Amino acid sequence: MRIKLKIILLSILSLLFFVSRSEAALEIERGPIYGALKKALPFENLEFAGYLKNETALRIAGGFDEFMKEANIAQLATEYTFNDNIQFFSILRWFYDSTFDLENKYSRDPKWESKSNKKLRFPEKMQWLRECYLDILTDRLDLRLGKQQVVWGTADGVRILDLVNPLDYREWTLKDYLDSRIPLWMINAEAQIMLNGQLQLLLIPDYEANYYPPAGAPFTLRTVEIGSRAIPGITTMTINQKPAHQLEHTKVGLRWRSIIQRRAFEYTLNYLNTYDFASSAYTAFTVPPPTVFVTRRAERIQIFGGTFSKSITEGILLPGLAKGWTLRGELAYITGGAMNYGTDTSIQGTADTDQLNYVFGFDKSFFTNWQFSFQFIQMRAKAREDFNKARFTLLNGATRGPLDKVETTLTLMLATDFLHEKLKPQILILYGDDNDWRISPKVSYEISDQWLAAAGVHVFEGKEQHLNGQFDKNDQIFFELKYTF
Amino acid sequence: MKKIVLLVLAMMLLANFAYADLEYFQIYKPKAGMSADQIMEIKYFNKYSLFAHGYESIGDVVFIEKDGSKRNRRFLRQRIILGRKSDDLSYKDLVMFTQPTSVKGLATLTWNYMNPKRDQDVWLWLPSLRKIRKVSASQADDSFMGGDFTTEEITSRKFSDETYKLIGEESFKGYTSIYDGKAYHKDEPCYVIECTPVRSPWYYSKRITYVSKNFGGNMLDEIYDPNGKLYRTIFRGWIIINVNGKDYPAQDRVEGHNLRTGHKTVIIFDEIKFDQDLTEDIFTQKTLMRQRW
Repeated sequence: MRIKLKIILLSILSLLFFVSRSEAALEIERGPIYGALKKALPFENLEFAGYLKNETALRIAGGFDEFMKEANIAQLATEYTFNDNIQFFSILRWFYDSTFDLENKYSRDPKWESKSNKKLRFPEKMQWLRECYLDILTDRLDLRLGKQQVVWGTADGVRILDLVNPLDYREWTLKDYLDSRIPLWMINAEAQIMLNGQLQLLLIPDYEANYYPPAGAPFTLRTVEIGSRAIPGITTMTINQKPAHQLEHTKVGLRWRSIIQRRAFEYTLNYLNTYDFASSAYTAFTVPPPTVFVTRRAERIQIFGGTFSKSITEGILLPGLAKGWTLRGELAYITGGAMNYGTDTSIQGTADTDQLNYVFGFDKSFFTNWQFSFQFIQMRAKAREDFNKARFTLLNGATRGPLDKVETTLTLMLATDFLHEKLKPQILILYGDDNDWRISPKVSYEISDQWLAAAGVHVFEGKEQHLNGQFDKNDQIFFELKYTF
Repeated sequence: MKKIVLLVLAMMLLANFAYADLEYFQIYKPKAGMSADQIMEIKYFNKYSLFAHGYESIGDVVFIEKDGSKRNRRFLRQRIILGRKSDDLSYKDLVMFTQPTSVKGLATLTWNYMNPKRDQDVWLWLPSLRKIRKVSASQADDSFMGGDFTTEEITSRKFSDETYKLIGEESFKGYTSIYDGKAYHKDEPCYVIECTPVRSPWYYSKRITYVSKNFGGNMLDEIYDPNGKLYRTIFRGWIIINVNGKDYPAQDRVEGHNLRTGHKTVIIFDEIKFDQDLTEDIFTQKTLMRQRW
């Protein structure tokens, strides 16, 4: 424990030392790193910003004696302006999570030295290139060409229509989606059809599957953990099928977004023809020798959906009634996908399945400087193929636990600020209808324009068959220190 | 007698209504003999630049702690004034934060309405979410950006939120800036008006405001807590910008001072421009999404 504490302190202090040492040498409004970069890259049309950040998380169970994360992150965003209409933008991010060197259970197990598992420690291949695109902007048409993330929907912390980019689940859904979405190469065109009406077209030749951490990692999904268990006398072969980089596999997205000006009622209509980032698993058993073939296939799916949002600025029905509330909603109907069915932990087969997912959100500022946000979320899955429903149910893709016909989740976020927005406490509570909980209080503090600190706790509660309950033993306390420039 | 009282009341209401309908894109200045209500109508008209078609500036918000340490926020602001009865739109505002990095890219689009009982509609572009969120308008007494002003003092207070009483005329004694130490508006002739909030109880019991006779802008607010004790001041510095032969009054600084905590907040507006042919299609979500950071 003492050694680990020393390493934490060492990481933080090295960061401080690096920065403060430079600060003594240069006194520039945006700090020494910015000053040094500006000096090294003296291009008039080049603008940049970035940060250095330390993220540390300790497992609460067992006396805070295990790192779940000890990551140092450096990010640099650059923007080069050719003229008012053409700009280039990129974000480079590098990280090192020393957890896999500090904890004996990782450092002494050769499997964590494998190429595929090293991506938990360092960026793999082009992962360091977070975004890289060219913007061509005109009055009527904006073109964004390159690696990027596109976000659809109005929901917070849950992905209903936000399905354009895959997700990196190395920390489950604890990280901001901005950091966990996997950017894709694409063409993103947005045309201004009318004053408050825009049509967006996405052409996405690139494909990446969601990233699920391997068995034994801090946030391994239960389904991965179960799948990794060896069955005596039986060999398991996994075949991954993903769409090739061919024109016919290009994914297509369309979104119409409009505001009805008189009522300030905003809505979108969305369509996405894509591949499922969470591959469906098809199993086959052969003898001899006894072998289970698991084929993981990315299904071609179609998503139809829409969103709305409306602030009550005068009152509903009566003057002043519900004034100050913002209502928002989002719906996605997903067809063409497939899900496993069976009993808890045991897959019996795979069935074509449609899903209907939706969320309603209610937001308001209360009292003085208190923000309240509540969401009601339902997810319905219906198999289009017959199977023995008396014995089996559809299975949750993340936990391999039985899935209800309707899964309901409620979320509540409360946030406020003190000391002139320097101190910002907030709490996020997620409740699933199977008594499945996550409670995440967090406090962030702005030390200065450039230094930010945060601390918090993630508490998971529930049965292992459910989304948060599967991490019941993963309660953690976390600390963040960020230097921006 | 009853009829006469009703007639007088009706006339007063009509008079109020008329002043509430000052014509957009005209310049108004206080005149001798005007009532407190008339002067304050002009003051609100000038505060939101409703005499112009468009407005742009670069703003710096500086938070000054009691120990003198400072934090900054820099933003670009654009406004198009519409005064359009057909869809009730008074003006649209775009505010885009450019510094420091922790807030860089944050942007808001606000629609403001002619109907005084209608709240603003606000869209917020959150770079950390990469999406636009429709957000509820802040509570009127929420702190504006964490500074020494409330939201209503900077963005949403309307003429009908208070009642007014003219309590005197004088030469403004001048205001020494808490930011640069210079004296502003010394000997400016002004009206002294007592403003009482319609809401009660409210976070202030009254404010005394000093409105310039020359350009109709309020220079200083002395704000009293519910117990009647002076606890905050807000100073607004004004400049006159000549645009195509017309003199437009523009605020170039707002300084808030909390007398209890010693905390100060200063907003400096720089590079103020009017009527630069801004078009309404800039004030759309597409512009918000162009913020990349």
